[in-house]
Amino acid sequence: MTAQALTRARLTRVPGVAVALILLCVVFAAANPGFASPANIANILTQSTILLMLALPMTLIIMTEGLDLSIGAVLTLASIALAMTAISTGSPALGLLAALGVGACFGLANGVLVAVFDIPPFITTLGTLGIAQGLSLVVTDGQSVVGIPRSIELIYSGSLAGIPYAILFAALAYLVTHVLLYRTRFGTYVFALGGNREALKVAGISVRGMLIRVYMFGGLMAGFAALLLTARLNSAHPTAGIGMEFDSIAAIAVGGTSFERGNGWLFGTLLGVVTIGVLRNGLNLMAVPSSTQVACIGALVILALFIDGLRGEA
Amino acid sequence: MGGGKPAASRRECGASPWGIERVSSVPVLELRGISKEFPGVKALDDVSFAIDAGEVHMLVGENGAGKSTLMKILCGAYRADRGNFFHKGQEVAMHGPADARKFGVAVIFQEFTLVPYLDIAQNIFLGREFSSTLPGLIDRSRIHAEAKRVLDSIGFDIDPRTPVHKLGVAQQQMVEIAKALSQNARILVMDEPTAALSDRETELLFAMIERLKRDGVGIIYISHRLSEVFALGDRITVMRDGRRIASLLPGETTPDKLVTLMVGREVDATYTRPDRPLPGKVVLEVKNLSATTGFSDVSLTVRAGEIVGLCGLVGSGRTEVARAIFGADRASAGEIRLNGEPIGSSPEDSVRRAVALIPESRKAQGLALARSVGDNIVLAGLRKLFPSRIYIPRRATKAARSVIDKLRIATPSPRRPVSALSGGNQQKVVIGKWLNANAQFYIFDEPTRGIDVGAKAEIFRLIDNLVHNGAGVLMISSEQIEIVHICDRAYVMRAGHIAGELSRDELTEANIVRLGMHQ
Amino acid sequence: MSTTAIPRSSRNRFAMSGDVMQMLYRVLALLLLGAVLTALSDVFFTTGNILNVLRQAALLFLMASGLTLVILTAGLDLSIGANVALSGCFAASVIKLTGSPWLGAGVGIGCGAAIGMANGVLVTALRIPSFVATYGMMWILTGVTYYYMGGETIHGFPPGFRQLGSGHLFGIPVPVYVMFVFLAIGVFFAQRTIWGQQIYAIGANPVAARLSGVPVERRLILVYVVSGAVAGLASLIVLARINSAQGDIGEELTLPAIAAVLVGGTSLFGGSGTVGGTLIGALLLTLVLNGMNLLQINSSWQPLATGIIILLAVWIDTRTRRIGE
Repeated sequence: MTAQALTRARLTRVPGVAVALILLCVVFAAANPGFASPANIANILTQSTILLMLALPMTLIIMTEGLDLSIGAVLTLASIALAMTAISTGSPALGLLAALGVGACFGLANGVLVAVFDIPPFITTLGTLGIAQGLSLVVTDGQSVVGIPRSIELIYSGSLAGIPYAILFAALAYLVTHVLLYRTRFGTYVFALGGNREALKVAGISVRGMLIRVYMFGGLMAGFAALLLTARLNSAHPTAGIGMEFDSIAAIAVGGTSFERGNGWLFGTLLGVVTIGVLRNGLNLMAVPSSTQVACIGALVILALFIDGLRGEA
Repeated sequence: MGGGKPAASRRECGASPWGIERVSSVPVLELRGISKEFPGVKALDDVSFAIDAGEVHMLVGENGAGKSTLMKILCGAYRADRGNFFHKGQEVAMHGPADARKFGVAVIFQEFTLVPYLDIAQNIFLGREFSSTLPGLIDRSRIHAEAKRVLDSIGFDIDPRTPVHKLGVAQQQMVEIAKALSQNARILVMDEPTAALSDRETELLFAMIERLKRDGVGIIYISHRLSEVFALGDRITVMRDGRRIASLLPGETTPDKLVTLMVGREVDATYTRPDRPLPGKVVLEVKNLSATTGFSDVSLTVRAGEIVGLCGLVGSGRTEVARAIFGADRASAGEIRLNGEPIGSSPEDSVRRAVALIPESRKAQGLALARSVGDNIVLAGLRKLFPSRIYIPRRATKAARSVIDKLRIATPSPRRPVSALSGGNQQKVVIGKWLNANAQFYIFDEPTRGIDVGAKAEIFRLIDNLVHNGAGVLMISSEQIEIVHICDRAYVMRAGHIAGELSRDELTEANIVRLGMHQ
Repeated sequence: MSTTAIPRSSRNRFAMSGDVMQMLYRVLALLLLGAVLTALSDVFFTTGNILNVLRQAALLFLMASGLTLVILTAGLDLSIGANVALSGCFAASVIKLTGSPWLGAGVGIGCGAAIGMANGVLVTALRIPSFVATYGMMWILTGVTYYYMGGETIHGFPPGFRQLGSGHLFGIPVPVYVMFVFLAIGVFFAQRTIWGQQIYAIGANPVAARLSGVPVERRLILVYVVSGAVAGLASLIVLARINSAQGDIGEELTLPAIAAVLVGGTSLFGGSGTVGGTLIGALLLTLVLNGMNLLQINSSWQPLATGIIILLAVWIDTRTRRIGE
């Protein structure tokens, strides 16, 4: 296999999600003149940052033939922890620490339940989803947490050299995940977790340890994303992150990572996130209610899985 | 056959308890007096084996002769009950895989331990990646460079950045070999390495093996392909029934003599073939059947009251043919007729037409382990037993008890979970399932695998009874002696085709083995 | 060397099978929980509260009964809550439009069954794992429901219809009668029809089932259709009870239904479990939630408790499997 053939092979994968993206952009631009304006495009990208930060670790988790349904709820709880800590201590840094702590706890719990107790990932994370959601409601009594320090709010609205902080954050997250996946042992072993666990065992690597670390990575990223979420809402609300796990799975499915085989394409996830962002933005401009948007995304996912199934059998 | 070897690779022979004496070289690894027993079966009985640097030592024998057990002990996966190990003449301990690795033993597995979406280099160095100067990161260029070095050393010209999932089976095998070599393997064990290779790929493999020999790597090569055994081997060891029968030079023997050594054994006297009435009309007719699962242009017939054998090596396509006949897999061409009418569209249809399949793996394919003996027995016959579709437990229990009594299945109650039964009794449950469904045509796939001697005879008697009552039977078995004893005639498959048909008079173990192997 | 079956006379006629013992333990747990709650709260053992518990448990059991069949095949249906919402809203519209509760009921159940059929097709023909397919379906249904309702609520159903949810017969809430009917139907279907036997076989070993002539795909579609239809029926009871319909009804039923099935002894890995066990599971779960209410525990803790119960049940299930292997 020559290097040229390899590049060609990689390019044949782009059409799937890029085509969808371009198609959607064209359709929405035609239906709505405001869509293609620079302001709106910036808006789409900024709004997609939180989803990207969830979809990146989720990609890794799905590559290990796992799933994390709790990540949206953990994001919510982390954002509540951040808000409450920042308000009571006056220190955004401590708030961030609290958010990371929440994320790490749930990541550890998920990892241990899956790796040590052998509970299937979707049931585990369904359970921790319920737990995180429950905690969010209890701690806030159903109310929003307001009075966030101004410095946090600036993170979302401010910019550096014309580029919003949020996008810089997301870019950093992408970079970190990319390096992690493609240039560290951890990333190499993630491929093996999904592709051939036996290979890891034979090489003497602890499969359990790896699984726990992958889920913890998800939890920590949710903690970081909580910073952006709290900044964007300028508050913390117990239902804020609901459904984001669904969007992230959708983004990954659309982006080309399949649920089996231990293959993941980070750039595909990025394209998938932008596609979902475009879809939501376009539908928003057309005044389609949020829940219907979800229905459209669901249809898109099923289509993506169907095509993936066809491709797999080919 | 077997000639044309350069003089330099011939060894000098001298008198010794083994028949061959290494005059000038001490074996890299030597096993003496190895014995290994499993519950109920003696897998190895006082076996001695040695491998020299730079030699290809062929290990031949039938399925069950003890070859894999010996290799597993060699690589530390099993522990021998008795025997000694010597590394370069010194006695050493062999307690586990770590010891084997110390002595440079590496096995090239049939199921590769490769990660599909990593590239070749990453796979070779999985777990042993080189660190870069930046903390936490791995040095990709060094991994690729080192991988290229290893690949070049075996003559495998490929970009180490190629993802493994893009490689064919032959190439993946080469990566496995490179992986082993990169861990300083000095002894490679290869089990049927050419089984999935084309002729061209086999040539490449042989070229690589020559290279390895020159580097002083010792290769233990297990094969059923006699042409390879003679073309490549420096030494041949024949095993049979857990014993080492002989070690020979290729020049000293012929393929026929090898076959005789592999096969000759005493007859199992507890089963005697009864006289059978002449077979009736044709029940199953298969014409030019092909399928993408691994066989083409297969034709055979089975008559009522007949037991027809389907033999051949593992992987020759027998199970695939059976599954296609039963409708479990789709055929791509050809026809299958049962009593003149087409069949084979689905298992549901086959069951309705009174066809039975006793699959290769009873636990994975034949039984619902979590369910009771009774539930398993009545499963295939539910429609027949309960035409109104209402399930009456008492009727089911009665039917199950009747089968349990008839087949003498050892279980105190039909309600026992089938997982609690012994292998032989589990197999009886699978057969009983079809008895209960009033099947008229039976396909058996390795019916006595993993069953002890006593239960085997019982199973044969059961099969006898079936044909005595007019059923037709197609039986797949890797135990040639079984085929010879129980079948009326047999087809032999080889590499996805029917290599030949043997009538009752021609049905001998030697003929089966001969037809089944590559010449 | 032959083996003979043990003569019948020496079999212990009174030995109870493992399944019955499991059921007994659960009933004991139920009674124990009841006793504990009676001790902890004066209100628990009052007529009003018990009837309330029964009514809740009946609805939960209804949802869980169809789900039991799905889980028996080693599958999962996460869309049942959203199914209740969509089927209920459609049914409500039809009732308001035509004035006929029967027509509405037909539409509700039919809609539920159609959703189940869609799930079944996704799982069998497209080979999407059931938890993924039904999870996606859940979101799609929610979206469609909200779009259809546009945030509005439908009020006011005919009094005859309302009896279904809030009425009493001889002092016992109507849903309880529905529960018993479905208990009978469910147990009959699972234990006394060949389809039930086939479903158990599919859960225990789908390969062996297929090779034994069981039409696996058809049966899988059947269980999802049943699960969906049952959700459709449950939506009617919800409508009748709250006398209104809006986009989020039934949402809170999915997790407890799953918990009820698992607590009732049905294994997530398929092949073992009973509808009767699910009834006990539904009662147990309702008691837990009712207890939490009576003890003035914040209702926000309920999803949390349900989540923990599910995890515990799965863990015990996994451990039992290990021992069995």
